[in-house]
Amino acid sequence: MTTILRTPKDWPAILLPTAVTAAATGADPLDIDAARARGAFVGLRRTLHDLGATGTIATIAASGLRGRGGAGYPTAEKWRAAAGTPATHRYVVANGYGADPSSATDRTLLESNPYAVLEGAVIAAAAIGATEVIVAVRSDATDAIHAVETALDRMIAAKLAGDDVLGSGRVVEVTIRPVQGAYMLGEETVLLKAIEGKRGQPEQRPPHPTERGLFGKPTVVQNVQTLAAIPWILANGAEAFAAIGSKTSPGTILVSVRAPGGAGVAEVPTGTSLRDIVALAGRNATKDLKALLVGGPSGGILPAELADTAYEFDSLRSAGAHVGSGSIVAADKRACVVDLARLLTRFCADEACGKTIPCRIGLRRVSEIADRVATGLPRPTDVQLLADLSTDIVGSALCDHERLATLPFVSGMRYFRSELDEHILRSSCPAGVCRPIAVAAGAAH
Amino acid sequence: MINVPGLGIVKGMALTLRKFFEPKATIKYPEVRLDVPHKFRGRLQLLYDEYGTLKCETCFQCAQACPIECIDMGGIDTKGRYHIHWGAPETYGERREESALRRSGRPVPDQAYAHFDPIHPDGLVAILERFDFDPKNMLEILDATQAEYGHLPVAALKLISQRTGAWYAMIYGTATYYRHLRFEPPGSEPIAAASADDRASRETRFLAGLDASLAGSRRGTSGRGTSGPATKPSAGAARA
Repeated sequence: MTTILRTPKDWPAILLPTAVTAAATGADPLDIDAARARGAFVGLRRTLHDLGATGTIATIAASGLRGRGGAGYPTAEKWRAAAGTPATHRYVVANGYGADPSSATDRTLLESNPYAVLEGAVIAAAAIGATEVIVAVRSDATDAIHAVETALDRMIAAKLAGDDVLGSGRVVEVTIRPVQGAYMLGEETVLLKAIEGKRGQPEQRPPHPTERGLFGKPTVVQNVQTLAAIPWILANGAEAFAAIGSKTSPGTILVSVRAPGGAGVAEVPTGTSLRDIVALAGRNATKDLKALLVGGPSGGILPAELADTAYEFDSLRSAGAHVGSGSIVAADKRACVVDLARLLTRFCADEACGKTIPCRIGLRRVSEIADRVATGLPRPTDVQLLADLSTDIVGSALCDHERLATLPFVSGMRYFRSELDEHILRSSCPAGVCRPIAVAAGAAH
Repeated sequence: MINVPGLGIVKGMALTLRKFFEPKATIKYPEVRLDVPHKFRGRLQLLYDEYGTLKCETCFQCAQACPIECIDMGGIDTKGRYHIHWGAPETYGERREESALRRSGRPVPDQAYAHFDPIHPDGLVAILERFDFDPKNMLEILDATQAEYGHLPVAALKLISQRTGAWYAMIYGTATYYRHLRFEPPGSEPIAAASADDRASRETRFLAGLDASLAGSRRGTSGRGTSGPATKPSAGAARA
């Protein structure tokens, strides 16, 4: 069980309303009556009885909700596209895979608030006219699977899912699909492939899944966090949601923090500064801060000077990182950026699915460059090669893994150039982590 | 015919003269090109990169795309796992000689061509019935098959292919992608790295490496092992 970090009292709690108190009072997140008392299923009722499909989508559009899966695509636009594509059958897929091993956000959400995720998914299905919802969960997250399955059974018994939802005559079949076996399953088209029983490799887009997704039918793939926010928006109004957090991507978001002082998952309003988020992990978390890895294994490495960057899709992108898996890793003075980038690049290269050649071969080459730099045996052309390679890999990308996999090294180079130069030119590691072999210039070749 | 002096040379010169005026078979490539069937793609060849690592990832996309299913492959993939078997087993020996893939010089372990072990099909048929013989449920079928037999025996994959109507290459491509699926009984993998290479240990290794990197532990001691050397034994050997 992951630690849920305590946040200041005035921060809104939309996704994990019970989590912190549940840990203290022993309240059961699976208690459907308690969930009702907190206002669950009001949103679903409004969708089915008052708003209708167009009204629901309009409300979501007004709230400004953006997908929490990492790319930050406006949710309402996705739904509109799926609803607007003529089809006999549509699907909603809730992505709770949470591929990043250093982030437990999806799993925590499913464990502590499964009703919000399922209600959001049923609302999405009603809004786009889908009859099937598939909730993808990691096979090894047994607690999360148990929570979602129990919650689903209770919802079906209460006529909140299944045949004839809330007496509206609408059928929404919800299935829980445990999946496992590859990091890439976090990517939406890869997840769809896995549900279809195929090799998990991304698809060329367009056509987007909203036009041709699961089994060739229009499919809305949303992260579980996005879905969990939807009941709250419908129950409390789009304006209330839009008022929370940053202007361009309002709401709250789950963040997985890993800092020297502690680690855990927290719900923060978007636009909170990275420093404030890391500080949640403990009193000493921001002490001696050297670098922040934002976005998981393919995240950007930001220097301590950028710790005041707002945690929000656009400002992170312009800083050279991304929301990604929702993980923030704080590194203090002990860590070497080159070593960290090397580790991440190796992980990304190993996890590449192999479909796109620049990604498969190119990432391996980037990883080798990182190895050479860390061992103090770089070639004179390596810096140029790295720049060329990452441009090519990004340019040929089919999916976001490829688009972002070079980010740790490239952002590390951008912000920690002097440290990299120490490795390359002087064969020494300022942090004393790498063990570069001291050689006279040119003796390596 | 008796020996007439000079007859041999006359015969020879006659042949030369005849050939001299015949239409030629050679063309001025590349200015002139022969008409080849539109699906002709030349000889299959696997390429090596500058480190001597085979560029083929054994992803089976070529095999799946091949309309007459003539592409066949085997050996060790880049994830360090051992696998093979595609096509009728009795043709393996011939293919080893004939296949253009083999002629690329790729080392192929011999066990790969051994006849596969039979399985008791009842369990598998029950699984297939449970999943309605539908290839859409392939991952669940494979998961259940592995739970039944402990691994994915070739005979089981063949039977799945036959009963569901899904191509063997498709099933094989799916099965090789997901790391929790294995082709050999646990503990018997010919490549030691393969068993350690499952999903969970990769993630644990990554997290351990991350912690070590954050704590600034010197590489060469604990850091080296946790961040992991190349998972590809062939690549490692070629570079060493």
